[in-house]
Amino acid sequence: MKNFRRTKLVFNSFLPLSLTLVFFIFCLGREGDRETQLLAIKGGTILTMAGERIEEGVVLIKGKKILAVGKEVEIPEEAAIFDAQGKHVLPGIIDSMTYYGIRPFDLNDMENPVTPENRIIFAYYPFGEFMRGKEGINRDREILSGGVTSVYIAPGDRQVIGGQGAVVKTWAESYDELILREPAALDMTIGDTAKYEMKREAKTPVTRMGISTLIRTNLLQAQEYLRKKKEAEEKEGEEKEKSPLFPRDPRMEALAALLNQEIPARIEADFADDIRTALRIADEFGFKLIIDSGLGAYKLKETLAEKGIPVVLGPPTHPFVQGGEVSMTRELYREMNEYNASELIKAGVLTSLASFGFGFGRFGYATQGRWLLIEAAYLAGFGVPDEEVLKMITINAAQILGVDDRVGSIEAGKDADLIILDGYPLDIKTWVDEVFIDGVNVYSRKGGRK
Amino acid sequence: MKKTRKLEDKEKKKGTLKGIAILFVVATFVPSLLEPGESLLAIKGGKILTMAGRVYEDGSLIIKKGKIWKVGKAISIPKGARIVDAQGKYVMPGIIDSMCYFGVRPFSLNSSEPVTPENRIVDAYYVFGELMRGPGGIQAEEELLCGGVTTVYIAPGSAQLIGGQGAVLKTFGRDYESLILRESASIDMTLAYAPLAESGMPSSNPPSRMSSMALLRKSLLEAQDYLKKIEEYEKMSEDEKKKSQKPSRDLGKEALASLLERKIPARIEADFVDDILAAIRLADEFKLDLVIDSGIGAYKVREILAKKKIPVVLGPPSHPIDYVSHLNNLIELQQLESERNASLLLDAGVKISISSQAKDFGGSGKATQGRWLLLEAALATGFGLSEEEALKAVTINAAQILGVADRVGSLEPGKDADVVILDGHPLRVETHVEKVFIDGCLSYEREKEE
Amino acid sequence: MKRERKCFWYFTMFIFLVSGLGLGLSGEEDTFALKGALVHPVTSASIEGATILVKKGKIVALGKDISLPEGIRVVDVRGKEIIPGLVDPHSHIGVFAANDANELPQPIGPENRALDALHLDLPDWMEAVKGGVTTVVTGPGSGERMGGQSVTIKTFGKDLEKRILKESGELKMAVNGVNLSHIPTIQANFLKAREYLKKWERYEAEADKASPPERDLSLEALAKVLKGEEVLRVHVIWANDIISFLKMKDEFGFELQFIHAPEAWKVAEEIAKRKVGVICMPIILSINLPEDLLKGIVTLQRSGVKIAMHSDYPVAPEKWFRLNASLAIRYGLEKEEALKAITINPAEMAKVDTRVGSIEVGKDADLVVLNGPWYEISSTVEKVFVDGILAYDSLREEER
Repeated sequence: MKNFRRTKLVFNSFLPLSLTLVFFIFCLGREGDRETQLLAIKGGTILTMAGERIEEGVVLIKGKKILAVGKEVEIPEEAAIFDAQGKHVLPGIIDSMTYYGIRPFDLNDMENPVTPENRIIFAYYPFGEFMRGKEGINRDREILSGGVTSVYIAPGDRQVIGGQGAVVKTWAESYDELILREPAALDMTIGDTAKYEMKREAKTPVTRMGISTLIRTNLLQAQEYLRKKKEAEEKEGEEKEKSPLFPRDPRMEALAALLNQEIPARIEADFADDIRTALRIADEFGFKLIIDSGLGAYKLKETLAEKGIPVVLGPPTHPFVQGGEVSMTRELYREMNEYNASELIKAGVLTSLASFGFGFGRFGYATQGRWLLIEAAYLAGFGVPDEEVLKMITINAAQILGVDDRVGSIEAGKDADLIILDGYPLDIKTWVDEVFIDGVNVYSRKGGRK
Repeated sequence: MKKTRKLEDKEKKKGTLKGIAILFVVATFVPSLLEPGESLLAIKGGKILTMAGRVYEDGSLIIKKGKIWKVGKAISIPKGARIVDAQGKYVMPGIIDSMCYFGVRPFSLNSSEPVTPENRIVDAYYVFGELMRGPGGIQAEEELLCGGVTTVYIAPGSAQLIGGQGAVLKTFGRDYESLILRESASIDMTLAYAPLAESGMPSSNPPSRMSSMALLRKSLLEAQDYLKKIEEYEKMSEDEKKKSQKPSRDLGKEALASLLERKIPARIEADFVDDILAAIRLADEFKLDLVIDSGIGAYKVREILAKKKIPVVLGPPSHPIDYVSHLNNLIELQQLESERNASLLLDAGVKISISSQAKDFGGSGKATQGRWLLLEAALATGFGLSEEEALKAVTINAAQILGVADRVGSLEPGKDADVVILDGHPLRVETHVEKVFIDGCLSYEREKEE
Repeated sequence: MKRERKCFWYFTMFIFLVSGLGLGLSGEEDTFALKGALVHPVTSASIEGATILVKKGKIVALGKDISLPEGIRVVDVRGKEIIPGLVDPHSHIGVFAANDANELPQPIGPENRALDALHLDLPDWMEAVKGGVTTVVTGPGSGERMGGQSVTIKTFGKDLEKRILKESGELKMAVNGVNLSHIPTIQANFLKAREYLKKWERYEAEADKASPPERDLSLEALAKVLKGEEVLRVHVIWANDIISFLKMKDEFGFELQFIHAPEAWKVAEEIAKRKVGVICMPIILSINLPEDLLKGIVTLQRSGVKIAMHSDYPVAPEKWFRLNASLAIRYGLEKEEALKAITINPAEMAKVDTRVGSIEVGKDADLVVLNGPWYEISSTVEKVFVDGILAYDSLREEER
């Protein structure tokens, strides 16, 4: 009996496995051409975000990756040439917090304040207009016009623990290639937005204490779950066979990934007190922490720097949008500081700049990320050096999101996600002329054809 | 003396010559000053179905200044005419949809009161493309033009007893004014009991036929009184006028007055035999011109309709029953409907047209079912309608019923150059519309298959 | 007297016997030959001037020159076209009273059967027959997560038991892109079902069957899907939900079919990769679908996806089910593929292709006779045979 079952198991997995392998090889074969296509972007001022600024440089792309970048790069004969004379070349912009591609009704599960098992990736909708358009991933001209090539998406801020966020590209040749990292983080909120909806129903959480308790209780349960799971796994032989099956719980698995430091927590917190709460809980349970929005983060800059906790800041021109019933709006205004970013950076905190874009009313396409360069320019007026502010929307964002092995700077081996601008990036009159993702020219300002 | 006369003659001749020269110069240059749609256009080589009795194999059609100038077999093509080659194609008049809601967004369809004759649907005609997006100007709706529909009759929805004034409009034009064929084309009424408005909200129609008829009669009687009052006032002397009150303008009563004065017909939506007979009774009492709309059961009273010369605008034969409006009467209507409705009516001598009754369903949002009118006409040929009658039902008959046959509905000299070129016989399922001209302007051209 | 009565009795019996035999001999209703039409068998090449021999409701021969048994009734169909009876893989005909066009979300559990709710006296069935639809898969409306059992049934026939081809065979789910927790909940349920299966497998393996695990009907329904005994049919609208289910199929390995899926063409390659069938939106004229979507159905088929049409009656009429194929041809689908989409493909997806879906020897004599090209809108249905019985004849306006 045992043998038969094992054979069955092996056979059941062998067949699909081998078929997959054959299919995989077949696919690779088909992709051959694409992998070796050569493209050289030459003549522009390249801001690599990896320390170098190269005048009249060359970026050599092979297939989906950057092969080489520099002033004197040998361009093979068969390479296609893209003339970037007089232009600036930057890595693709990364929006480290947005709801781009998520339809408003998918943002939050309003029934339940804690849903760590929910994964935003199931709500990512990169297919353009409903029932209209062409086959394949849509090239959204609105977001691409701002040079945004990667985004971090997550459930909305109406829940205490909304679920698992993801880092995705704004375009790719296939659905699977869109995903850079999933799950990328566990999204949480400590603040009034996580509770105001619930007030109508007198359901927990009604106070900040409630929020904190919810998080801690769930994490304690997750710890217990991990312990039991370990026990079950450590049983061997007959003991294992006889003992009841350990029921896998996706909810607990998600929290466990946090406790095991496989993914960080992204906690949206603005008041310094709320940030303190986040730090306290992170210390208690030992997970990696990233602060989202952090309007009052400058008040804790030394602690944040010391503990190596990054901060994803919101757009300085409109730092927050609160729903009508949020009572602490005035207090939040007092917490704000235009020099937040510059103080954090000077203290040594890793920061990025995000759009926190969401669909508004019926017009619903959260494409505010396209103005990140303008937000960055604004920030440059409040004590942040130009090089730093550009890093905040490229390499810093990539590092905070854990995808800097793939994107965020123009370096050999990374994805060929690049943008070409017709002027200095932080100049208000500058436009993004071209966008490349995985080496494909997905957007051209003049032309407008897909 | 002679010399002087000779001189005078010479002067005259010079003058005349000058005049002729000026005329000649003007005549040569004026055509080039004409706008593109108004210059000469010749469609040649196709099979022309004029809908005016003649069919020209390998014929030609000359358009001048947006009107049809000449149509026939052996016509000389004037010099300077742009030539459109229709070799091997079919040429016919633009399709007319004699009842639809194209261009009217669902929330604009009905008011909440049962009697609003002052409302004019033309005020809700929206042909400017997507909200807040796109280039300016009238936007050609390709999803409708691909079916060759050049003219539509639109009216308020069926959720009111008297919805208001319907209008006959073109589906595309250079400017807004050119779209309007007949701003106030009929008074639209509904006897078919519609419990729900198109928006899904409860309709304001009175719950019983008796109260509906009473309300209709009351409204018409009030309009009659209003007319009398105005007549009496006009008849007064200047002194009397100064002493008495001028009757204040009542837009609603004015609209019904045009009905009473037979300037415009009553368009009454009625399906059951009793409703149709009630409509006829009303028309008899107030001496109104009547058009029956939808008329699912019209074949049952075809003799009366023929005798009183009452035309019927039929719904699409593939789905004549509107589920939303007729939820409560579905079984009765299903038992009443007959595929031979159109042919029975025609054989009895009733003038009919076939309309789409297009509403938005399923969220595609554009009420463009009119694009399938030729397919609906084809369906009708399977149930007793000849091909010629089927084509007339969506062209000249519709134009006559709508009172715009002086402008559209057939390819005859003097009429608007609304012309459709198809790549096959119009009633075959594989035939596609290739080009659509409205007022001589190319408004739609089918994309070539890749 | 006794003898006369006996004679009379024998005589009466003899009359009955002879007339009985006579009825049998003079040609049973469901035994005849159709001669002279252009026949489209679907699973083989079309035949001009063909003969179809039907015996006791089954097709026994098909071809150009077939010798016919003596005394067989011959129906002359020269100048006509014959296609197989159409198969509608998803409908609600006969389950709701006809005057209720709305689908009410019923709290139906997977154990409820449509069979128990069938209304056979409704005129709707005749409408389907008139449209050439001879087999439908009908059931209650789709609930949010899991729906009730459907039944595959012929649209005509005197004997209900004989009309039923199959009970159930599918588990229905509906996802409408609302609520983030939808997909994780379904995944969690499948995980639970997998573990439920393991529990029971363990129990079966035990020698001493002391305490069986608790039974859970909804987990059992899911378990059937995991074991491959039932197909998972998902009503899906948005393209990203299609991807989510394809990934679930990758993880759990069940057989999957999509219903409606108006955006399926946007992810055609992904669907084709997993060999998942799609029962497409009814593209009939009453539903105003965008041109892109209509063209998309052709894209879907050309990418290698098996497609079928459905009516979702009463959403679209059964009477014009054939026109779904006509419209698809209009937007570029090959005629043979379009005909498959309303015959053999839905039959295969409903797993009744051993009996219906094509004109083949051994299959049921479900045949539709038209007076012109089968796909032309102007052609009309003249005769419909269901199990060899003439269910509809346009020449006789009265219905059976």
